[in-house]
Amino acid sequence: MKFLFSSKLIAWYFIMPVFAIHLLVVALPSLSSLALSLTDWNGFGKINYIGFENFTELFDDRVFKKAVKHNLIWTAFFLTVPIAVAMLGAYLLTGIKRFQLFYRLVFFFPYILASIVNALVWKYLFHPIHGLGAWMNERGIDFLASSPFTTKGTSLYAVAFVDAWHFWGFLVVIYITGMYQVDNSLYEAADIEGATKWQKFRFITLPMIRPIFIFSLMIIIIWSIPAFDYVYILTQGGPAYSSEVIANHLYSKAFDRFEVGYASAIGVMMFVYVFFVVGFFGLLRKIGWEI
Amino acid sequence: MTKSFKILLSVSFSAFLFCSPVFSKTVITWWAEGSAVRDPDVIDIIENRFNAEHSDIELDIVFKEEVTETTRTALLSGTGPDIFESPGPSYIKMLQDAGFVQSLDKYDKQYGWKDKLLPWAYNSGMFDGEFYAFPKNYESMIYFYNKTLFEENGWSLPTNLTEYEALAEAIQAKGMYPFAYGAQGWQPTHEHLAGNYINTVAGPDNMYKALIGEKKWTDPEFVASLKLLKKHMDAGYWSGSLENYYALGWDDFNGQFANRDSAMMMIGSWGFNPTVSGFADKTDEWDWAPLPMLTPEGGTPNYQLAIGSTISINAASENADTAAYILDWVISNREQVLELTGRFNFGAWLLPLKYQEADFGDVDPRIKRFLMDFAKTTGEGNYGYTTWSFFAADPGVHIWKDMEVVWANDITVEEFLEDHQKLWDKARKKNNTLPIGDR
Repeated sequence: MKFLFSSKLIAWYFIMPVFAIHLLVVALPSLSSLALSLTDWNGFGKINYIGFENFTELFDDRVFKKAVKHNLIWTAFFLTVPIAVAMLGAYLLTGIKRFQLFYRLVFFFPYILASIVNALVWKYLFHPIHGLGAWMNERGIDFLASSPFTTKGTSLYAVAFVDAWHFWGFLVVIYITGMYQVDNSLYEAADIEGATKWQKFRFITLPMIRPIFIFSLMIIIIWSIPAFDYVYILTQGGPAYSSEVIANHLYSKAFDRFEVGYASAIGVMMFVYVFFVVGFFGLLRKIGWEI
Repeated sequence: MTKSFKILLSVSFSAFLFCSPVFSKTVITWWAEGSAVRDPDVIDIIENRFNAEHSDIELDIVFKEEVTETTRTALLSGTGPDIFESPGPSYIKMLQDAGFVQSLDKYDKQYGWKDKLLPWAYNSGMFDGEFYAFPKNYESMIYFYNKTLFEENGWSLPTNLTEYEALAEAIQAKGMYPFAYGAQGWQPTHEHLAGNYINTVAGPDNMYKALIGEKKWTDPEFVASLKLLKKHMDAGYWSGSLENYYALGWDDFNGQFANRDSAMMMIGSWGFNPTVSGFADKTDEWDWAPLPMLTPEGGTPNYQLAIGSTISINAASENADTAAYILDWVISNREQVLELTGRFNFGAWLLPLKYQEADFGDVDPRIKRFLMDFAKTTGEGNYGYTTWSFFAADPGVHIWKDMEVVWANDITVEEFLEDHQKLWDKARKKNNTLPIGDR
C-alpha cells in the first residue's frame, strides 16, 4: 500500500491522464497512419496491403517534389525574415521606457487572432477589384494590379509573408523575455569600454539569449513542416501548385482524391523529417550546446 | 398495500405502453448541406408539411456545414442519418463500393421511381445494376448575357468559333470582359470551363467515346479543345486575366456581370438565381443561350447533363422503408417540388422529374424556356456530359486541379492529357468508372 503512494509513483499518476489522452488522440492515430501508409485505402472501403508502393510513388510525384521544395523555401524564409524583424523589434523595445507594454501588445495582437481572420484581411487588401492594388492602379501605380496570391511567381512568398506577419509578434515576446534576463552589469561594463549599440547586441545580447534563439530556430524548423492553414485559406496551394506545401498536398490527396493510404505515406515522411530535426537538436544538446 | 401495489403496477404498465414503439413516432433524420439562405424554405416546404401530414413519422432535416465529411465519418463508424446527401455520383459510388449505401431497387419498383425521374438522371444513380442514389438537383452549362448591352452595340449571339472570337474581341474593345467568372473559394470552377470546351470543340460524341473507353483522351480533338481554352484564357476572356479569374469569387463575378463590367457569364443553370437577383434593381435586361459549338462550322448546341448532388439511404438505417417512403413523398408532388426550387430561381433542389409545361405556371419565361428546351433537346438525345457527373473520382479531380498547371505553361496540353489518360486507365482497371448510359 505504501508503495502505491510513494513519491516516485505520484508523478506518474499526474502524468497518466495526459498520457492516456495522448495515446488515444496522437499515438494511436499516428500508428494507424503508419499502417495505412502501406495500403491503398481510399477512406471508405476495403483496405489492401500494397507494401512500399506509396513511398516509391512519392519519389515520382512531381507535386510532392514541388511541395518539398516549397517547404524548404518556407523554412528558410521563416528562419530569416521574421527572426530578423523580431530580433530588431525586441531589441528596440527593450530600449524604450514609455508605452512599451502597448507596443508589445500591438506586435503580439496578430498572433492571437484566428488565422482565418488574418488571412481574409490580407486577401481583401490585395483583392483586384476592391483592394489596395485596385486603388493604386487607378492612380497609375500598377505593380499590385493583380493579387500576389494569384500570381504564380509571388503566391508562395505572399502567403509566407502573411503567416510571418502574424508570427513575428510571438518571436518578439520570447526574445524580449530572454533579453530582460541579461545581467545589466554586462551592458554597464560595455558602456565603460565604449562599446557601440551594435557591439553590445552582437557580443552581449546575442550570446546571452542563445538558448532561446536556438529554441526559436528549432520550433520554426519543426512548425514549418505542417504549415497548412494560411496556404489553404489564401491560395489552396495554387495557382498551378506554386504555393503547394507538403501538408496541403497531403490534405488534397486524402480529401480531394481520396487516396488516404498515399496521404498517410506523406504523413510518415513528415514525421521522419521532424524526427531527424529533433534528433539533430538533441545531438547539439548532448555535445554541450545550451538549448 | 395491495392497492398501492396495483396503482404502481398500472402506472408502470401505462408508462411502458406509452413509451413503446407502438405509440411513438418513427423519427427519420436527413443530413443536408447547410445554406443559410435555403434552409428555412426546405424546412418550411419539406419538413413542416411532411410532419403536418403524418402523425406516425417525424422527419428531422439537419443542416450541416461540411456535410460530406461529417457524413463520411458517421458512416464509417456505423452510425449517421437515415437519409444523407452526397456531392455527386463519383462520391456516392465510393460509398456504395464500401457498402454504406442501401440499395433502392426494392423501393424503386414499389414506388415506380424509374417512371417519375428523367431517364439519364435515373441512370446516374445505378451502380452494378442496382439503383442507389437519387439525384437531388439537375443542371446544365449555359451562358447568360446582358441583352440590353447586346442590343445597344448590335451584337448577336455567336453560332460558331469565328463569331464567338469576334464577339469577344468586340466586347474587349469596349473595355469590358467577355465573360465574368472566377475560381476564388471554389477551385473546381476550372472544370466548368474545361468541360464546356471539350463538349463544344471535341463534341459530345467524342466525349462519350472517351468516357466509355473507346477513345483516348490524348486524341487530337481533346488536345484542340484544351488548347483553345488556354488560348482564350490567355486572351483574358474570363474577367480580364488568369490572375483575376483566380482572385474573383461568387459575389465578385456576379456583380461584374450585373454591373456591365462584363457582357456575358458562362456558368451553370444555378446562375439563374444570382442573375435574377443581380438584375432586379437594374434597367438592363438579361437573357441566356445554350453554349455555341466552338468549331469553324458551328452546329446544333447541346446541353450538358449534370447532377448537382444526390440523396441516398444509409445502409445501416433501421428505418429504410420509412426513409424510402419519405423520398417518395418528396418526389411525388411535382407542384411542391417546383414551389421549393422556384424559391431559389431553379438554381437548387431542381429534382429531375418529368415536368410538363403546365407545371411551371407563372415561372419567369426565360427560366421556363431553359427547363422546357433542356427537356426537349436532351430527350432528343442531343446532350453532352459534365465532368463532375460522369468522370471517375481521380480524373474528375485532375481535370480541375491540374488544369492550372497547363494555364501556367508548366506543362503542355498534350502532357496534361497523357496524365489524364493514365488516371482513366487506372480508374477503369479498378472498376471506378461511373454509369454513362447509352447514346
